[in-house]
Amino acid sequence: MIFLDLTTIIAQEVVLSSLMAIEGMVTLLIEFFEAFGRIEFPFESNYVLSIIYVSLYVSLIAVFLSTIFSIPVAMIVGFKNFPGKQFVVSAINTGMGFPSVAVGLFVLFLVSSQGPLGMFDLVFTKEAMIMSQFVLASPVITGISLSSVMSIRREIRDAAFAMGGTKLDRALLIIKEARYGIITAIVAGLGRAISEVGSVLIVGGNIASYDGTSITRTLTTAIQLEARQGKFETAMILGVILISIVLFINWIMIRLGHNRISGQWGDGF
Amino acid sequence: MSIISKINSKLVGKYKNISLDEDSVSFSEYLENKSINKDIALVDVDFKYANEPVLENIDLNLNKGEVLAIIGPSGTGKTTLLRLLSLFHRVDKGEVKFNGKDVWSLSERERLIIRRKIGMVFQKPNLFNATVHQNVRYGLKIRKNWYERIQSFVFESLNGYEDPKVIEKLEIVGLEDLYKKSSKSLSGGEAQRVAFARALAYEPEFLLLDEPTSDLDPRNTAIIEEAIRKARSEGIGIAIATHDMNQAERVADRVAVLLNGQIVEIGNAEDVFNNPKNEKTEMFINGKLVY
Amino acid sequence: MKILGLGIAGIAGIGMSGCLGFGGQNSELPPITEEKLTLTTTTSTYDTGLLDVVNEAFEKRYGVSVEAIAQGTGAALETARNGDSEVVMVHARELEDNFIKDGVGINRRDLMFNDFVIVGSTDDPAEIAGIDSATEAFEKIAKTESVFISRGDNSGTHAKELDIWSESNAEPGGEWYREAGEGMGPILNQTNMEGAYTLADRGTYLSMKGDIDLEILVEGPIEDGPEILMNPYGIIVVNPAVHDHVKYDIAMAYVGFLTSKKGHNIVENYTVEDEQLFFPTAVSEKPNFQQYVPKEWEP
Repeated sequence: MIFLDLTTIIAQEVVLSSLMAIEGMVTLLIEFFEAFGRIEFPFESNYVLSIIYVSLYVSLIAVFLSTIFSIPVAMIVGFKNFPGKQFVVSAINTGMGFPSVAVGLFVLFLVSSQGPLGMFDLVFTKEAMIMSQFVLASPVITGISLSSVMSIRREIRDAAFAMGGTKLDRALLIIKEARYGIITAIVAGLGRAISEVGSVLIVGGNIASYDGTSITRTLTTAIQLEARQGKFETAMILGVILISIVLFINWIMIRLGHNRISGQWGDGF
Repeated sequence: MSIISKINSKLVGKYKNISLDEDSVSFSEYLENKSINKDIALVDVDFKYANEPVLENIDLNLNKGEVLAIIGPSGTGKTTLLRLLSLFHRVDKGEVKFNGKDVWSLSERERLIIRRKIGMVFQKPNLFNATVHQNVRYGLKIRKNWYERIQSFVFESLNGYEDPKVIEKLEIVGLEDLYKKSSKSLSGGEAQRVAFARALAYEPEFLLLDEPTSDLDPRNTAIIEEAIRKARSEGIGIAIATHDMNQAERVADRVAVLLNGQIVEIGNAEDVFNNPKNEKTEMFINGKLVY
Repeated sequence: MKILGLGIAGIAGIGMSGCLGFGGQNSELPPITEEKLTLTTTTSTYDTGLLDVVNEAFEKRYGVSVEAIAQGTGAALETARNGDSEVVMVHARELEDNFIKDGVGINRRDLMFNDFVIVGSTDDPAEIAGIDSATEAFEKIAKTESVFISRGDNSGTHAKELDIWSESNAEPGGEWYREAGEGMGPILNQTNMEGAYTLADRGTYLSMKGDIDLEILVEGPIEDGPEILMNPYGIIVVNPAVHDHVKYDIAMAYVGFLTSKKGHNIVENYTVEDEQLFFPTAVSEKPNFQQYVPKEWEP
């Protein structure tokens, strides 16, 4: 029993620290954007910043969780033969283009107070949005990682086996060899998550408090709102911000993956 | 932190010297600390692939400190034989014995320990997409426990680091200056030499070479053959599969002739080449065997 | 790779320090009620911006933050039926009545009204400018087959539009009648671009007046137009007997606030483009029993 408590405490600590680290990262990002260009907005900067925060919070966490889930799945599907493997691969490929509104409806059904997860009080919260984006991003990340991992020649795995690598060693090796493809997968998943509007609208409700601070309003749902109200200029500005963020994240990821060209791993790891 | 250091000391303790009295320790512990001081033996081994027989009635042993050449035409199963020796596949009949014990009757963990005492070089270099230094170091890296691995990751990311063992092995193949180069930028010959150093880095007791020089020019071939001699003088048991008769004559102590999945002759190099017992051997050596 | 190692250490450090400031909760509120109330309403109501003013005042008084979700009439009521919201504010009396009849909604109050207007381009091909009958205007539009853009989304506005059609002698349908399935803003834009006619709530029209070339051709009752264009708003609370997790007391406090003199003043003083948008009806000396029951209900 003590072991269970310890594990729970450790798990909670890890999650809490990661969330705080992410919050810190996002604050950094926001401040970077503030310093980067003081453009005149036809609205409060608090409004925009809180919307950016919610967009990033939801999508980054969803993609992070999805990566932890998807890469092992991609490895298992790539290297193990099991009954129904063809079906699973088809499902992954189909899932990549799954309509976001459909996923949103499904998750809404789950978290509604009438639904199976109703007791957790998740409806119209950022956490529910993370859930639906997890579902949307995972097929993308899994599918692209899968094809990239399967393209690693078998002889590379054989070399690691011959040198006495355990299953885990070989798995890590493959991930490192396929790192460029995997990073592409993560960036693609992030792009899908941060750009989608259907599921976060249905599941989150596009809520902002009276002073404009976003509660579940993301860049995409805000654009939808402003466009609906006919405020196209505002919508366009938000659109530009969204595209800039996507480009910025792309840039960071590609910088990390750039090492493929110079052939560097992390030393010692 | 204290939990981690407790785990760490427990793992470190495992590698401390244990009494060499065979009866008092488990086979695993014995293996970990004593070398396989005898040999690897294949006893009456059969192997099938997709229900087609590949190898039949194989009796072979590889001793430490010797070079055994396995010769035969392409496609007779030399590669498969080596793969059986490095425990890639289970055998369909017979035993694969290390120090007298059949490996396939041991636990997964014990087999891993044995596998870690063997090195292999393939026909193609199969280097990882990283620097020469990182490639050669791989074998050393995976033998550390996880605590050490995470430590080195953090520490070495901040400072550069050259592992002296890596440099030492690269010197054997004459490439110690290239340790920082990316593996993609090497020539074919250089890459294969790095692959050789990579297999030697963790000081295996047996080295299996699958036609290591068939894609190389004479100069690189000579460097590799010199490295083979050096390894042999350190007491490593080497099996080299080759279709180059001259290479076999140059480096081997013993020769096994593999035709059609069966060993038709095995013995000292001199005897096999000059006084072959089997007529097929003689025909093969003289290039008269037509497939 | 060195940068990555440093970066991870740096970010962890920043994350730790962020622990102190980033509470997420508004720490200026009194500790008694740091609750939230979920309200669902229509897009046109939400887009007027009235709720922001109301909710700010409510939060200052009660310390409860109101999360308003703009969903469209049908969805707003459906969400409440599922127990995912606690208060609904809509303007579709028939649907509200069903809501009450099904026992999901209780304690309905009339809140306020505004009106609808029929808008179109200054060309006015159907010649409806200044008519004081909405049904007649629709008949003329149908007769001249002038383009009419409908909400087509089961919203309050759409319900009203269908009402007028059914009261009139004309039938909507055919090439000239377009169901767009969008919110009021985009509909007005589309109407503007095509030089067509549409039925709009005055509030949205006023807020977009600067950006489009449409004019009010048929006025609503606020400007002495026909009664049929009246647009009354109701507020209903979700029955705690049906969904026992709803914060009924807080929901009732919200309704109480809105239907009090304070709420009355906020609604009355709310303007868009310097024009009053809503006319509060809740505070009244004269009894208004119809607000509590479905329209045709009799004792």
